[in-house]
Amino acid sequence: MTLLIGALIIGLILSLLALGVLVSFRIFSMPDITTDGSITLGASIAAVLLVKGVNPVFATAAGAMGGAAAGAVTGILHTKFKINSLLAGILVMTALYSVNLHVMGRSNVPLMQATTVASYGENLGEWFAGGKTIHIFGWPVGAADAAVLVLALLFTALAGAAMFAFFRTQLGTAMRATGDNPQMIRALGANVELNIILGLALSNGFVALAGALLAQYQGFADAQMGIGMVVWGLASVIIGEALTGTRSLGLTIVGTIMGSVLFRLLVAIALRWGLNPNDLKLITALFVFAALVLPGFIDRFKPRPTSAT
Amino acid sequence: MLALSGIRKTFNPGTVNEVRALQGVDLTIEPGSFVIVLGMNGSGKSTLLNAVAGSFYVDEGTIRLANHDVTKWPEHKRAKLIGRVFQNPFSGTAPTMSIAENFALASRRGHARGFGWALSPHLMKPLQERIATLKMGLEGRLDNAIGSLSGGQRQALTLLMATWLKPELLLLDEHTAALDPKSADQVIQLSDEVIQRDKLTTLMVTHSMQQAVSLGDRIIMMHRGRVLHDIRGAEKKRLRPEDLLDRFDEVRRRELLDESAAAMLNELYI
Repeated sequence: MTLLIGALIIGLILSLLALGVLVSFRIFSMPDITTDGSITLGASIAAVLLVKGVNPVFATAAGAMGGAAAGAVTGILHTKFKINSLLAGILVMTALYSVNLHVMGRSNVPLMQATTVASYGENLGEWFAGGKTIHIFGWPVGAADAAVLVLALLFTALAGAAMFAFFRTQLGTAMRATGDNPQMIRALGANVELNIILGLALSNGFVALAGALLAQYQGFADAQMGIGMVVWGLASVIIGEALTGTRSLGLTIVGTIMGSVLFRLLVAIALRWGLNPNDLKLITALFVFAALVLPGFIDRFKPRPTSAT
Repeated sequence: MLALSGIRKTFNPGTVNEVRALQGVDLTIEPGSFVIVLGMNGSGKSTLLNAVAGSFYVDEGTIRLANHDVTKWPEHKRAKLIGRVFQNPFSGTAPTMSIAENFALASRRGHARGFGWALSPHLMKPLQERIATLKMGLEGRLDNAIGSLSGGQRQALTLLMATWLKPELLLLDEHTAALDPKSADQVIQLSDEVIQRDKLTTLMVTHSMQQAVSLGDRIIMMHRGRVLHDIRGAEKKRLRPEDLLDRFDEVRRRELLDESAAAMLNELYI
Protein backbone atom coordinates (compact mmCIF):
# COMPACT_ATOMS: atom_id res chain seq x y z
CA MET A 1 0.00 0.00 0.00
CA THR A 2 2.80 2.40 0.90
CA LEU A 3 4.40 1.52 -2.41
CA LEU A 4 1.18 2.27 -4.28
CA ILE A 5 0.72 5.62 -2.54
CA GLY A 6 4.33 6.52 -3.25
CA ALA A 7 3.88 5.74 -6.92
CA LEU A 8 0.69 7.79 -7.07
CA ILE A 9 2.32 10.79 -5.40
CA ILE A 10 5.35 10.73 -7.69
CA GLY A 11 3.05 10.26 -10.68
CA LEU A 12 1.05 13.31 -9.64
CA ILE A 13 4.16 15.42 -9.06
CA LEU A 14 5.58 14.38 -12.42
CA SER A 15 2.27 15.18 -14.11
CA LEU A 16 3.30 18.84 -13.69
CA LEU A 17 6.37 17.97 -15.75
CA ALA A 18 4.11 16.24 -18.26
CA LEU A 19 1.92 19.36 -18.46
CA GLY A 20 5.04 21.40 -19.17
CA VAL A 21 6.01 18.99 -21.94
CA LEU A 22 2.43 19.16 -23.26
CA VAL A 23 2.88 22.91 -23.73
CA SER A 24 6.18 22.70 -25.58
CA PHE A 25 5.58 19.48 -27.51
CA ARG A 26 1.89 19.67 -28.41
CA ILE A 27 1.00 23.37 -28.30
CA PHE A 28 4.23 24.68 -29.83
CA SER A 29 5.25 21.44 -31.63
CA MET A 30 8.75 21.75 -30.21
CA PRO A 31 10.35 18.83 -28.39
CA ASP A 32 12.06 21.00 -25.79
CA ILE A 33 14.91 19.16 -24.10
CA THR A 34 15.54 22.11 -21.77
CA THR A 35 13.16 20.05 -19.61
CA ASP A 36 16.01 17.74 -18.55
CA GLY A 37 17.92 20.69 -17.14
CA SER A 38 15.09 22.77 -15.77
CA ILE A 39 13.60 20.00 -13.61
CA THR A 40 16.97 19.72 -11.89
CA LEU A 41 17.25 23.50 -11.69
CA GLY A 42 13.89 23.71 -9.94
CA ALA A 43 14.94 20.95 -7.53
CA SER A 44 18.34 22.48 -6.76
CA ILE A 45 17.08 26.02 -6.18
CA ALA A 46 14.33 24.75 -3.89
CA ALA A 47 16.71 22.40 -2.04
CA VAL A 48 19.38 25.03 -1.41
CA LEU A 49 16.82 27.54 -0.14
CA LEU A 50 15.19 24.92 2.08
CA VAL A 51 18.50 23.98 3.66
CA LYS A 52 18.96 27.69 4.47
CA GLY A 53 15.60 27.57 6.26
CA VAL A 54 13.55 29.54 3.73
CA ASN A 55 9.78 29.06 3.77
CA PRO A 56 9.00 25.93 1.66
CA VAL A 57 6.26 27.61 -0.39
CA PHE A 58 8.60 30.43 -1.30
CA ALA A 59 11.44 27.99 -2.06
CA THR A 60 9.16 25.99 -4.37
CA ALA A 61 8.02 29.13 -6.18
CA ALA A 62 11.64 30.25 -6.58
CA GLY A 63 12.49 26.88 -8.15
CA ALA A 64 9.64 27.27 -10.63
CA MET A 65 10.77 30.79 -11.52
CA GLY A 66 14.29 29.49 -12.17
CA GLY A 67 12.89 26.96 -14.63
CA ALA A 68 10.80 29.65 -16.32
CA ALA A 69 13.94 31.75 -16.78
CA ALA A 70 15.76 28.78 -18.34
CA GLY A 71 12.84 28.23 -20.72
CA ALA A 72 12.89 31.91 -21.68
CA VAL A 73 16.59 31.59 -22.53
CA THR A 74 15.85 28.65 -24.84
CA GLY A 75 13.07 30.71 -26.44
CA ILE A 76 15.40 33.67 -26.99
CA LEU A 77 18.11 31.44 -28.53
CA HIS A 78 15.49 29.97 -30.85
CA THR A 79 13.63 33.13 -31.90
CA LYS A 80 16.14 35.98 -31.66
CA PHE A 81 19.24 34.05 -32.73
CA LYS A 82 17.42 31.71 -35.12
CA ILE A 83 18.93 28.56 -33.63
CA ASN A 84 17.03 25.35 -34.37
CA SER A 85 14.66 24.71 -31.46
CA LEU A 86 16.11 21.30 -30.65
CA LEU A 87 19.68 22.65 -30.62
CA ALA A 88 18.64 25.67 -28.52
CA GLY A 89 17.22 23.24 -25.96
CA ILE A 90 20.37 21.10 -26.01
CA LEU A 91 22.57 24.16 -25.45
CA VAL A 92 20.55 25.37 -22.49
CA MET A 93 20.26 21.87 -21.02
CA THR A 94 24.04 21.43 -21.21
CA ALA A 95 24.69 24.84 -19.71
CA LEU A 96 22.19 24.12 -16.93
CA TYR A 97 24.21 21.09 -15.84
CA SER A 98 27.01 23.42 -14.69
CA VAL A 99 24.53 25.97 -13.36
CA ASN A 100 22.85 23.32 -11.25
CA LEU A 101 26.16 22.17 -9.78
CA HIS A 102 26.96 25.78 -8.90
CA VAL A 103 23.56 26.33 -7.33
CA MET A 104 23.91 23.24 -5.17
CA GLY A 105 27.67 23.57 -4.59
CA ARG A 106 27.98 19.77 -4.96
CA SER A 107 26.16 17.06 -6.84
CA ASN A 108 23.61 16.15 -4.15
CA VAL A 109 21.73 18.12 -1.49
CA PRO A 110 19.87 16.02 1.11
CA LEU A 111 16.80 17.53 2.75
CA MET A 112 16.47 15.23 5.73
CA GLN A 113 16.36 17.93 8.40
CA ALA A 114 14.77 20.74 6.41
CA THR A 115 11.11 21.71 6.66
CA THR A 116 9.47 21.09 3.26
CA VAL A 117 5.97 21.25 1.79
CA ALA A 118 5.98 17.47 2.22
CA SER A 119 6.54 17.82 5.96
CA TYR A 120 3.65 20.32 6.06
CA GLY A 121 1.47 17.63 4.50
CA GLU A 122 2.72 14.95 6.86
CA ASN A 123 2.07 17.09 9.94
CA LEU A 124 -1.35 18.00 8.62
CA GLY A 125 -2.20 14.36 8.04
CA GLU A 126 -1.13 13.24 11.51
CA TRP A 127 -3.03 16.11 13.11
CA PHE A 128 -6.12 15.34 11.04
CA ALA A 129 -6.07 11.58 11.71
CA GLY A 130 -4.97 12.05 15.30
CA GLY A 131 -2.40 9.26 14.94
CA LYS A 132 0.29 7.73 12.79
CA THR A 133 -1.92 5.44 10.77
CA ILE A 134 -5.41 5.41 9.37
CA HIS A 135 -7.31 2.59 7.71
CA ILE A 136 -8.59 2.80 4.14
CA PHE A 137 -10.73 -0.17 3.11
CA GLY A 138 -9.17 -2.01 6.03
CA TRP A 139 -5.59 -1.38 4.88
CA PRO A 140 -3.35 0.39 7.36
CA VAL A 141 -1.97 3.51 5.73
CA GLY A 142 0.43 6.09 7.08
CA ALA A 143 -1.66 9.18 7.81
CA ALA A 144 1.23 11.32 6.64
CA ASP A 145 1.40 9.54 3.27
CA ALA A 146 -2.34 9.78 2.75
CA ALA A 147 -2.32 13.52 3.49
CA VAL A 148 0.54 14.12 1.07
CA LEU A 149 -1.34 12.16 -1.58
CA VAL A 150 -4.50 14.23 -1.08
CA LEU A 151 -2.50 17.45 -1.19
CA ALA A 152 -0.67 16.34 -4.35
CA LEU A 153 -3.98 15.49 -5.98
CA LEU A 154 -5.52 18.85 -5.06
CA PHE A 155 -2.48 20.80 -6.14
CA THR A 156 -2.21 18.97 -9.47
CA ALA A 157 -5.90 19.49 -10.17
CA LEU A 158 -5.46 23.17 -9.37
CA ALA A 159 -2.41 23.48 -11.62
CA GLY A 160 -4.22 21.70 -14.47
CA ALA A 161 -7.25 23.95 -14.07
CA ALA A 162 -5.02 27.02 -14.02
CA MET A 163 -3.33 25.93 -17.23
CA PHE A 164 -6.70 25.23 -18.86
CA ALA A 165 -7.96 28.67 -17.83
CA PHE A 166 -4.82 30.36 -19.07
CA PHE A 167 -5.11 28.82 -22.52
CA ARG A 168 -8.60 30.25 -22.83
CA THR A 169 -7.53 33.84 -22.19
CA GLN A 170 -6.67 36.28 -24.97
CA LEU A 171 -2.96 35.72 -24.40
CA GLY A 172 -3.35 31.95 -24.06
CA THR A 173 -5.38 31.55 -27.26
CA ALA A 174 -2.81 33.66 -29.09
CA MET A 175 -0.13 31.26 -27.83
CA ARG A 176 -2.06 28.24 -29.06
CA ALA A 177 -2.51 29.91 -32.43
CA THR A 178 1.25 30.59 -32.49
CA GLY A 179 1.87 26.85 -32.39
CA ASP A 180 -0.99 26.14 -34.77
CA ASN A 181 -0.38 28.71 -37.51
CA PRO A 182 2.29 31.37 -36.88
CA GLN A 183 1.63 33.12 -40.19
CA MET A 184 -2.02 33.65 -39.28
CA ILE A 185 -1.45 34.97 -35.79
CA ARG A 186 1.31 37.30 -36.99
CA ALA A 187 -1.11 38.72 -39.56
CA LEU A 188 -3.52 39.29 -36.66
CA GLY A 189 -0.95 41.36 -34.84
CA ALA A 190 0.54 38.98 -32.26
CA ASN A 191 4.27 38.94 -31.60
CA VAL A 192 5.10 35.33 -32.49
CA GLU A 193 8.66 35.47 -31.11
CA LEU A 194 7.50 36.81 -27.75
CA ASN A 195 4.74 34.21 -27.56
CA ILE A 196 7.24 31.39 -28.12
CA ILE A 197 9.55 32.78 -25.42
CA LEU A 198 6.64 33.11 -22.96
CA GLY A 199 5.35 29.65 -23.89
CA LEU A 200 8.70 27.97 -23.25
CA ALA A 201 8.99 29.90 -19.98
CA LEU A 202 5.56 28.59 -18.95
CA SER A 203 6.47 25.06 -19.99
CA ASN A 204 9.75 25.00 -18.08
CA GLY A 205 8.16 26.77 -15.13
CA PHE A 206 5.81 23.79 -14.75
CA VAL A 207 8.72 21.39 -15.22
CA ALA A 208 10.83 23.11 -12.56
CA LEU A 209 7.82 23.19 -10.22
CA ALA A 210 7.66 19.42 -10.59
CA GLY A 211 11.40 19.27 -9.83
CA ALA A 212 11.07 21.41 -6.70
CA LEU A 213 8.21 19.28 -5.37
CA LEU A 214 9.90 16.00 -6.30
CA ALA A 215 13.06 17.00 -4.41
CA GLN A 216 10.99 17.74 -1.31
CA TYR A 217 9.05 14.50 -1.54
CA GLN A 218 12.02 12.23 -2.11
CA GLY A 219 14.19 14.20 0.31
CA PHE A 220 17.07 15.26 -1.93
CA ALA A 221 18.06 17.14 -5.07
CA ASP A 222 20.57 15.49 -7.36
CA ALA A 223 22.47 16.76 -10.39
CA GLN A 224 21.54 13.61 -12.33
CA MET A 225 17.82 13.60 -11.58
CA GLY A 226 16.82 15.28 -14.86
CA ILE A 227 18.28 12.75 -17.26
CA GLY A 228 15.64 11.44 -19.64
CA MET A 229 12.82 13.41 -18.04
CA VAL A 230 11.64 14.95 -21.32
CA VAL A 231 11.06 11.44 -22.68
CA TRP A 232 9.17 10.61 -19.51
CA GLY A 233 6.99 13.66 -20.13
CA LEU A 234 6.42 12.66 -23.75
CA ALA A 235 5.38 9.17 -22.66
CA SER A 236 2.84 10.66 -20.22
CA VAL A 237 1.44 13.01 -22.88
CA ILE A 238 1.09 10.15 -25.38
CA ILE A 239 -0.60 7.84 -22.86
CA GLY A 240 -2.90 10.71 -21.95
CA GLU A 241 -3.87 11.22 -25.57
CA ALA A 242 -4.68 7.53 -25.87
CA LEU A 243 -6.87 7.78 -22.74
CA THR A 244 -8.86 10.93 -23.46
CA GLY A 245 -8.17 11.84 -27.08
CA THR A 246 -7.15 15.28 -28.30
CA ARG A 247 -10.56 16.70 -29.04
CA SER A 248 -10.47 19.44 -26.48
CA LEU A 249 -7.78 21.15 -24.50
CA GLY A 250 -9.43 20.33 -21.18
CA LEU A 251 -9.55 16.61 -21.95
CA THR A 252 -5.93 16.67 -23.11
CA ILE A 253 -4.84 18.26 -19.84
CA VAL A 254 -6.80 15.73 -17.75
CA GLY A 255 -5.42 12.95 -19.93
CA THR A 256 -1.85 14.10 -19.45
CA ILE A 257 -2.23 14.03 -15.65
CA MET A 258 -3.81 10.58 -15.84
CA GLY A 259 -1.11 9.45 -18.24
CA SER A 260 1.65 10.46 -15.89
CA VAL A 261 0.08 8.68 -12.92
CA LEU A 262 -0.67 5.56 -14.94
CA PHE A 263 2.83 5.44 -16.38
CA ARG A 264 4.36 5.79 -12.91
CA LEU A 265 2.13 2.99 -11.61
CA LEU A 266 3.13 0.70 -14.47
CA VAL A 267 6.78 1.43 -13.80
CA ALA A 268 6.37 0.76 -10.07
CA ILE A 269 4.70 -2.58 -10.82
CA ALA A 270 7.35 -3.52 -13.36
CA LEU A 271 10.14 -2.67 -10.91
CA ARG A 272 8.46 -4.75 -8.21
CA TRP A 273 8.24 -7.68 -10.60
CA GLY A 274 11.98 -7.50 -10.99
CA LEU A 275 12.61 -5.13 -13.87
CA ASN A 276 16.21 -3.98 -13.74
CA PRO A 277 16.06 -0.24 -12.88
CA ASN A 278 18.95 0.33 -15.28
CA ASP A 279 16.67 -0.62 -18.16
CA LEU A 280 14.04 1.94 -17.25
CA LYS A 281 15.18 4.74 -19.58
CA LEU A 282 15.68 2.30 -22.46
CA ILE A 283 12.16 0.97 -22.04
CA THR A 284 10.69 4.49 -21.75
CA ALA A 285 12.47 5.53 -24.96
CA LEU A 286 11.29 2.39 -26.78
CA PHE A 287 7.76 3.02 -25.57
CA VAL A 288 7.75 6.60 -26.93
CA PHE A 289 9.29 5.38 -30.18
CA ALA A 290 6.56 2.79 -30.58
CA ALA A 291 3.84 5.29 -29.70
CA LEU A 292 5.14 7.74 -32.31
CA VAL A 293 5.61 5.20 -35.09
CA LEU A 294 2.87 2.62 -34.61
CA PRO A 295 -0.18 4.74 -35.54
CA GLY A 296 1.27 5.50 -39.00
CA PHE A 297 2.41 1.89 -39.35
CA ILE A 298 -1.04 0.53 -38.59
CA ASP A 299 -2.65 2.95 -41.04
CA ARG A 300 -0.51 1.55 -43.83
CA PHE A 301 -1.93 -1.93 -43.36
CA LYS A 302 -5.52 -0.84 -42.98
CA PRO A 303 -7.71 -1.64 -45.99
CA ARG A 304 -8.25 1.58 -47.87
CA PRO A 305 -11.59 2.70 -49.26
CA THR A 306 -11.42 2.01 -52.96
CA SER A 307 -12.97 5.25 -54.09
CA ALA A 308 -13.71 8.57 -52.49
CA THR A 309 -17.43 9.04 -52.83
CA MET B 1 -4.18 56.16 -47.59
CA LEU B 2 -1.23 54.08 -48.73
CA ALA B 3 1.80 55.79 -50.25
CA LEU B 4 4.79 53.86 -51.60
CA SER B 5 7.79 55.73 -52.91
CA GLY B 6 10.88 54.29 -54.56
CA ILE B 7 10.38 50.76 -53.21
CA ARG B 8 13.20 48.38 -54.13
CA LYS B 9 13.78 44.84 -52.97
CA THR B 10 16.39 42.32 -54.12
CA PHE B 11 16.35 38.77 -52.77
CA ASN B 12 19.65 36.89 -52.32
CA PRO B 13 21.76 39.84 -53.49
CA GLY B 14 25.20 39.01 -54.85
CA THR B 15 24.43 35.32 -55.45
CA VAL B 16 23.43 33.32 -58.51
CA ASN B 17 19.89 33.28 -57.13
CA GLU B 18 19.66 37.07 -57.09
CA VAL B 19 16.12 38.23 -57.84
CA ARG B 20 15.36 41.90 -58.26
CA ALA B 21 11.74 41.57 -57.26
CA LEU B 22 10.83 45.25 -56.89
CA GLN B 23 12.72 47.86 -58.88
CA GLY B 24 11.39 51.22 -57.86
CA VAL B 25 7.66 51.17 -57.20
CA ASP B 26 5.89 54.50 -56.67
CA LEU B 27 2.23 54.21 -55.88
CA THR B 28 -0.39 56.23 -54.04
CA ILE B 29 -3.74 54.73 -53.17
CA GLU B 30 -6.52 57.00 -51.99
CA PRO B 31 -8.71 56.03 -49.05
CA GLY B 32 -11.63 53.85 -50.09
CA SER B 33 -10.04 52.89 -53.39
CA PHE B 34 -10.27 49.24 -54.52
CA VAL B 35 -7.18 48.45 -56.58
CA ILE B 36 -6.67 45.30 -58.63
CA VAL B 37 -3.05 44.24 -59.12
CA LEU B 38 -2.30 42.26 -62.29
CA GLY B 39 0.88 40.86 -63.74
CA MET B 40 2.52 37.70 -65.03
CA ASN B 41 4.29 35.23 -62.75
CA GLY B 42 7.40 36.81 -61.29
CA SER B 43 6.26 40.35 -62.04
CA GLY B 44 6.39 41.27 -58.35
CA LYS B 45 2.68 41.41 -57.48
CA SER B 46 2.81 39.24 -54.42
CA THR B 47 6.18 40.69 -53.41
CA LEU B 48 4.56 44.12 -53.46
CA LEU B 49 1.77 42.97 -51.14
CA ASN B 50 4.23 41.26 -48.82
CA ALA B 51 6.39 44.41 -48.75
CA VAL B 52 3.36 46.44 -47.66
CA ALA B 53 2.37 43.82 -45.09
CA GLY B 54 5.90 43.73 -43.69
CA SER B 55 6.81 40.10 -44.40
CA PHE B 56 10.27 41.55 -45.11
CA TYR B 57 11.87 44.99 -44.96
CA VAL B 58 12.42 46.81 -48.26
CA ASP B 59 15.97 47.73 -49.35
CA GLU B 60 15.05 51.26 -50.39
CA GLY B 61 12.05 53.54 -50.33
CA THR B 62 9.37 54.40 -47.81
CA ILE B 63 5.93 53.02 -47.05
CA ARG B 64 3.38 55.33 -45.47
CA LEU B 65 0.02 54.04 -44.33
CA ALA B 66 -2.72 56.08 -42.61
CA ASN B 67 -0.29 58.87 -41.61
CA HIS B 68 2.31 56.47 -40.19
CA ASP B 69 5.70 55.80 -41.70
CA VAL B 70 5.55 52.00 -41.41
CA THR B 71 8.74 51.27 -43.36
CA LYS B 72 10.55 50.01 -40.25
CA TRP B 73 7.54 48.53 -38.47
CA PRO B 74 7.65 44.75 -37.96
CA GLU B 75 4.90 42.66 -39.52
CA HIS B 76 2.88 42.12 -36.34
CA LYS B 77 2.84 45.86 -35.64
CA ARG B 78 1.63 46.70 -39.14
CA ALA B 79 -1.15 44.17 -38.62
CA LYS B 80 -2.83 46.82 -36.48
CA LEU B 81 -3.58 48.69 -39.72
CA ILE B 82 -3.78 45.83 -42.21
CA GLY B 83 -6.18 42.94 -42.77
CA ARG B 84 -4.91 40.08 -44.95
CA VAL B 85 -6.27 37.09 -46.80
CA PHE B 86 -3.70 34.70 -48.27
CA GLN B 87 -3.77 32.57 -51.40
CA ASN B 88 -3.62 29.35 -49.41
CA PRO B 89 -6.95 28.81 -47.59
CA PHE B 90 -5.01 27.07 -44.80
CA SER B 91 -2.83 30.10 -44.09
CA GLY B 92 -5.42 32.43 -42.61
CA THR B 93 -6.92 30.32 -39.84
CA ALA B 94 -5.67 28.22 -36.91
CA PRO B 95 -6.93 24.72 -37.86
CA THR B 96 -7.13 23.02 -34.47
CA MET B 97 -8.94 25.94 -32.86
CA SER B 98 -12.68 26.54 -33.07
CA ILE B 99 -14.39 29.04 -35.38
CA ALA B 100 -15.28 31.17 -32.35
CA GLU B 101 -11.70 31.12 -31.05
CA ASN B 102 -10.34 32.13 -34.44
CA PHE B 103 -12.67 35.13 -34.46
CA ALA B 104 -11.74 35.91 -30.87
CA LEU B 105 -8.13 36.16 -32.05
CA ALA B 106 -9.16 38.38 -34.97
CA SER B 107 -11.17 40.63 -32.66
CA ARG B 108 -7.91 41.51 -30.83
CA ARG B 109 -5.98 42.47 -33.97
CA GLY B 110 -3.80 45.46 -33.06
CA HIS B 111 -4.84 45.35 -29.40
CA ALA B 112 -2.94 44.09 -26.37
CA ARG B 113 -3.76 40.51 -25.43
CA GLY B 114 -4.16 40.06 -21.71
CA PHE B 115 -5.78 37.70 -19.23
CA GLY B 116 -9.38 38.45 -20.15
CA TRP B 117 -11.37 35.48 -21.49
CA ALA B 118 -10.90 35.11 -25.23
CA LEU B 119 -14.52 34.11 -25.84
CA SER B 120 -16.34 37.05 -24.33
CA PRO B 121 -20.16 37.17 -24.51
CA HIS B 122 -19.83 40.53 -26.31
CA LEU B 123 -18.23 38.70 -29.18
CA MET B 124 -20.49 35.68 -29.51
CA LYS B 125 -23.77 37.34 -30.43
CA PRO B 126 -22.55 39.61 -33.25
CA LEU B 127 -20.35 36.73 -34.43
CA GLN B 128 -23.30 34.37 -34.74
CA GLU B 129 -25.30 36.97 -36.65
CA ARG B 130 -22.46 37.84 -38.99
CA ILE B 131 -21.67 34.20 -39.78
CA ALA B 132 -25.35 33.49 -40.39
CA THR B 133 -25.26 36.05 -43.24
CA LEU B 134 -22.77 33.78 -45.05
CA LYS B 135 -25.58 31.23 -45.47
CA MET B 136 -23.05 28.41 -45.15
CA GLY B 137 -24.77 26.86 -42.14
CA LEU B 138 -21.76 27.61 -39.96
CA GLU B 139 -23.56 29.67 -37.31
CA GLY B 140 -24.46 26.49 -35.40
CA ARG B 141 -20.92 25.12 -35.61
CA LEU B 142 -18.95 27.86 -33.88
CA ASP B 143 -17.32 25.33 -31.54
CA ASN B 144 -16.08 23.12 -34.39
CA ALA B 145 -12.41 23.14 -35.29
CA ILE B 146 -11.91 25.36 -38.32
CA GLY B 147 -9.64 22.73 -39.86
CA SER B 148 -12.70 20.55 -40.52
CA LEU B 149 -14.16 23.07 -43.00
CA SER B 150 -13.68 23.28 -46.75
CA GLY B 151 -11.22 25.65 -48.39
CA GLY B 152 -13.99 27.96 -49.58
CA GLN B 153 -15.58 28.16 -46.14
CA ARG B 154 -12.22 28.80 -44.53
CA GLN B 155 -11.40 31.54 -47.02
CA ALA B 156 -14.78 33.23 -46.45
CA LEU B 157 -14.19 33.11 -42.70
CA THR B 158 -10.64 34.44 -43.13
CA LEU B 159 -12.08 37.39 -45.02
CA LEU B 160 -14.56 38.10 -42.23
CA MET B 161 -11.76 37.79 -39.68
CA ALA B 162 -9.50 40.18 -41.59
CA THR B 163 -12.25 42.79 -41.70
CA TRP B 164 -13.84 42.12 -38.28
CA LEU B 165 -12.06 45.24 -37.03
CA LYS B 166 -12.08 47.71 -39.91
CA PRO B 167 -8.55 47.75 -41.34
CA GLU B 168 -6.95 50.84 -42.90
CA LEU B 169 -5.89 48.57 -45.74
CA LEU B 170 -7.11 45.18 -46.91
CA LEU B 171 -4.63 42.94 -48.76
CA LEU B 172 -6.07 40.09 -50.83
CA ASP B 173 -3.33 37.95 -52.37
CA GLU B 174 -4.96 35.75 -55.06
CA HIS B 175 -7.33 34.69 -52.32
CA THR B 176 -9.60 32.71 -54.68
CA ALA B 177 -6.89 31.07 -56.82
CA ALA B 178 -6.89 27.83 -54.82
CA LEU B 179 -10.69 27.44 -54.72
CA ASP B 180 -13.12 25.64 -57.00
CA PRO B 181 -15.04 28.00 -59.34
CA LYS B 182 -18.22 28.01 -57.26
CA SER B 183 -16.48 28.77 -53.97
CA ALA B 184 -14.29 31.33 -55.74
CA ASP B 185 -17.42 33.15 -56.94
CA GLN B 186 -18.89 33.12 -53.45
CA VAL B 187 -15.72 34.49 -51.88
CA ILE B 188 -15.36 37.17 -54.56
CA GLN B 189 -18.95 38.26 -54.04
CA LEU B 190 -18.44 38.39 -50.30
CA SER B 191 -15.21 40.37 -50.73
CA ASP B 192 -16.93 42.94 -52.93
CA GLU B 193 -19.81 43.23 -50.46
CA VAL B 194 -17.55 43.80 -47.46
CA ILE B 195 -15.30 46.23 -49.34
CA GLN B 196 -18.24 48.29 -50.61
CA ARG B 197 -20.06 48.30 -47.29
CA ASP B 198 -17.09 49.39 -45.18
CA LYS B 199 -15.45 51.44 -47.98
CA LEU B 200 -12.21 49.57 -47.41
CA THR B 201 -8.99 50.64 -49.08
CA THR B 202 -8.04 47.42 -50.86
CA LEU B 203 -5.18 45.91 -52.83
CA MET B 204 -6.21 42.67 -54.55
CA VAL B 205 -3.88 40.50 -56.60
CA THR B 206 -5.58 38.27 -59.15
CA HIS B 207 -4.92 36.26 -62.30
CA SER B 208 -8.51 36.44 -63.44
CA MET B 209 -9.16 39.03 -66.17
CA GLN B 210 -12.87 38.67 -65.45
CA GLN B 211 -12.40 39.69 -61.82
CA ALA B 212 -10.06 42.49 -62.89
CA VAL B 213 -12.58 44.18 -65.15
CA SER B 214 -15.69 43.60 -63.04
CA LEU B 215 -14.26 44.58 -59.66
CA GLY B 216 -12.57 47.64 -58.23
CA ASP B 217 -12.01 51.16 -59.50
CA ARG B 218 -8.39 50.94 -60.58
CA ILE B 219 -6.05 48.40 -62.18
CA ILE B 220 -2.29 48.29 -61.76
CA MET B 221 -0.32 46.07 -64.10
CA MET B 222 3.09 45.06 -62.77
CA HIS B 223 6.00 43.99 -64.93
CA ARG B 224 9.54 43.18 -63.84
CA GLY B 225 9.14 44.79 -60.45
CA ARG B 226 7.66 48.04 -61.75
CA VAL B 227 4.21 49.46 -62.33
CA LEU B 228 3.73 49.23 -66.12
CA HIS B 229 0.11 50.36 -66.54
CA ASP B 230 -2.13 52.28 -64.21
CA ILE B 231 -5.73 52.26 -65.41
CA ARG B 232 -8.43 54.13 -63.56
CA GLY B 233 -11.54 56.25 -63.77
CA ALA B 234 -13.58 56.11 -66.95
CA GLU B 235 -10.94 54.06 -68.73
CA LYS B 236 -11.21 51.35 -66.07
CA LYS B 237 -15.02 51.32 -66.41
CA ARG B 238 -14.84 50.86 -70.19
CA LEU B 239 -12.20 48.16 -69.96
CA ARG B 240 -13.02 44.70 -71.38
CA PRO B 241 -11.08 41.49 -70.70
CA GLU B 242 -9.81 41.56 -74.32
CA ASP B 243 -8.19 44.95 -73.74
CA LEU B 244 -6.30 43.55 -70.81
CA LEU B 245 -5.23 40.50 -72.83
CA ASP B 246 -3.94 42.82 -75.53
CA ARG B 247 -1.83 44.61 -73.00
CA PHE B 248 -0.48 41.30 -71.75
CA ASP B 249 0.34 40.26 -75.34
CA GLU B 250 2.17 43.50 -75.83
CA VAL B 251 4.27 42.77 -72.74
CA ARG B 252 4.97 39.26 -74.02
CA ARG B 253 6.06 40.51 -77.43
CA ARG B 254 8.41 42.98 -75.86
CA GLU B 255 9.76 40.17 -73.70
CA LEU B 256 10.43 37.97 -76.76
CA LEU B 257 12.07 40.86 -78.52
CA ASP B 258 14.36 41.32 -75.55
CA GLU B 259 15.29 37.66 -75.63
CA SER B 260 16.01 37.59 -79.37
CA ALA B 261 18.05 40.76 -79.03
CA ALA B 262 20.03 39.18 -76.22
CA ALA B 263 20.60 36.04 -78.32
CA MET B 264 21.85 38.15 -81.21
CA LEU B 265 24.22 40.08 -78.98
CA ASN B 266 25.44 36.79 -77.55
CA GLU B 267 26.26 35.45 -80.99
CA LEU B 268 27.99 38.61 -82.05
CA TYR B 269 30.14 39.26 -79.04
CA ILE B 270 30.71 36.00 -77.18
